Amino acid sequence: MELFKPEFGLVFWMLVVFLIILGILAKYAWPVIIRSIEQRAELIDNGVVYARKAKEDFEGAKAKIEEMMAEAHQKQLEALQETERMKRGLIENARKEAAAEAQKVLDAAQLSIEQAKREAELQIRRQVSELSLEIAGRVLRRNLSADAAQTELVNKMLDELENK
Amino acid sequence: MMKILKYILLSGLLLWATAVSAAGTEEADGEPFNPKEVIFEHLGDAYSWHVFHWNIPLPVIVRDEAGGWHAFSSARLQHGGEYEGFRIAEEGAYAHKVVGTGADGKEYRPWDFSITKNVLALILCGLVMFWLLFPLVRWYKRKPTEAPRRVKGMMEALVEFLYKEVIVAILGAHAKRYAPYLLTVFFFILVMNLMGMIVIFPGGANLTGNLAITMVLALCTFVVVNVSGRKHYWKDIFWPDVPVWLKCPVPMMPLIEFFGVLTKPLSLMIRLFANMLGGHIIVLVLISLIFIMSAFGAAATGGATVVSVIFAVFMNTLHVLVAFIQAYVFFMLSTIFISLAVPESAGHKIEKQ
Repeated sequence: MELFKPEFGLVFWMLVVFLIILGILAKYAWPVIIRSIEQRAELIDNGVVYARKAKEDFEGAKAKIEEMMAEAHQKQLEALQETERMKRGLIENARKEAAAEAQKVLDAAQLSIEQAKREAELQIRRQVSELSLEIAGRVLRRNLSADAAQTELVNKMLDELENK
Repeated sequence: MMKILKYILLSGLLLWATAVSAAGTEEADGEPFNPKEVIFEHLGDAYSWHVFHWNIPLPVIVRDEAGGWHAFSSARLQHGGEYEGFRIAEEGAYAHKVVGTGADGKEYRPWDFSITKNVLALILCGLVMFWLLFPLVRWYKRKPTEAPRRVKGMMEALVEFLYKEVIVAILGAHAKRYAPYLLTVFFFILVMNLMGMIVIFPGGANLTGNLAITMVLALCTFVVVNVSGRKHYWKDIFWPDVPVWLKCPVPMMPLIEFFGVLTKPLSLMIRLFANMLGGHIIVLVLISLIFIMSAFGAAATGGATVVSVIFAVFMNTLHVLVAFIQAYVFFMLSTIFISLAVPESAGHKIEKQ
């Protein structure tokens, strides 16, 4: 039954060996290991928190960008509409101006036509008076002088004729 | 399926062959096989270490009756040799131990500080622990933010589990203070258990199945627990919260509580010792069965070999599990005993923050 009798020598050596191992490990191994494990766990936790925050920030930024895009799109549409309106206004103006110009040209043309007509009338009149005078002269065989008084007489007669 | 069958047949054949050859040598020796002696030799301590057929002598350090110290190699005491008045007793109360012959001619047991097989195995277990843990420490110093790999990773996972799930969970704010002791106890027991299961040189010593070893471990826990004991711990022992008649004229409860203080380490000591010793004995008995059966011829030996080896492998596998469980149980119970002794309220207050 020697198994159940603790041997003094073995107890002594066990105590010595165990205390030495405990001393060495407690001083050089366990604190380092536990501290490192805790530090790394903390690092990983922080990393997770950071990643989550970064994701949230990214989502926020994305939403903001989308908002800005929508806004820009809206502005673009408005600008397009504005230009459209402006374009239409310009064309309208141009058309109006062109119409006015054309009117002016037309008026001037009419005026000149009128003038030409009048001139032509005068010419015709003059020729008619000359012709009639010549005819009257031939009739009278007498060269009626072409003085003003006679011309005026003819003119008067012509007016009367015209007015009939 | 065929593959498995082939393996089983092949291993059976091999076992049978070895059994027959073993039986042959046993018969050739001409000595009857004494299982009790063989088993106790394997379980007990020795002054030298058998490695195959070599016998490595170890130093014998003894202090004689007169107070003089003697140190010499155990090789001088082999085969009944006597040196400086010391020899290894063959039988009697001090069988297999170094004894001296006193001035009165009587046999006596000197103070024996020999580096026996178990002492050497203890030192080797310590070195194995350093080999397991210091690479991890070095890793942390070099790469504090990286996770270690292989053996280091395994050690880290184990330490982390023990520290976070047991020590911190039970001790709370006191965890840091007691963690070195508790972790050392766990790993020392685990290494001793596993080394005891390796049959050749670095292992093979039955350490945790030795009462001296478990006694020292239990004693350390006892000291740690009672040194950490504060007011409420001693009050619970000598003036527990029970009706006054249970503790006033006759201190019944205090007596029971006081015995509780002593039985806690005692149970730790016996539990570890008995579990590990039991595992070793079962395997040794199963293997001895082969040699016992060799007396009944080759067929009986072959059959016994196959059956014994299968059972021994099964028991050993179970024993690996037990090695872990017993280390864990010793460690966890130590943690719980300490948690019962330290001022709980302060711990919980800090833990809650």
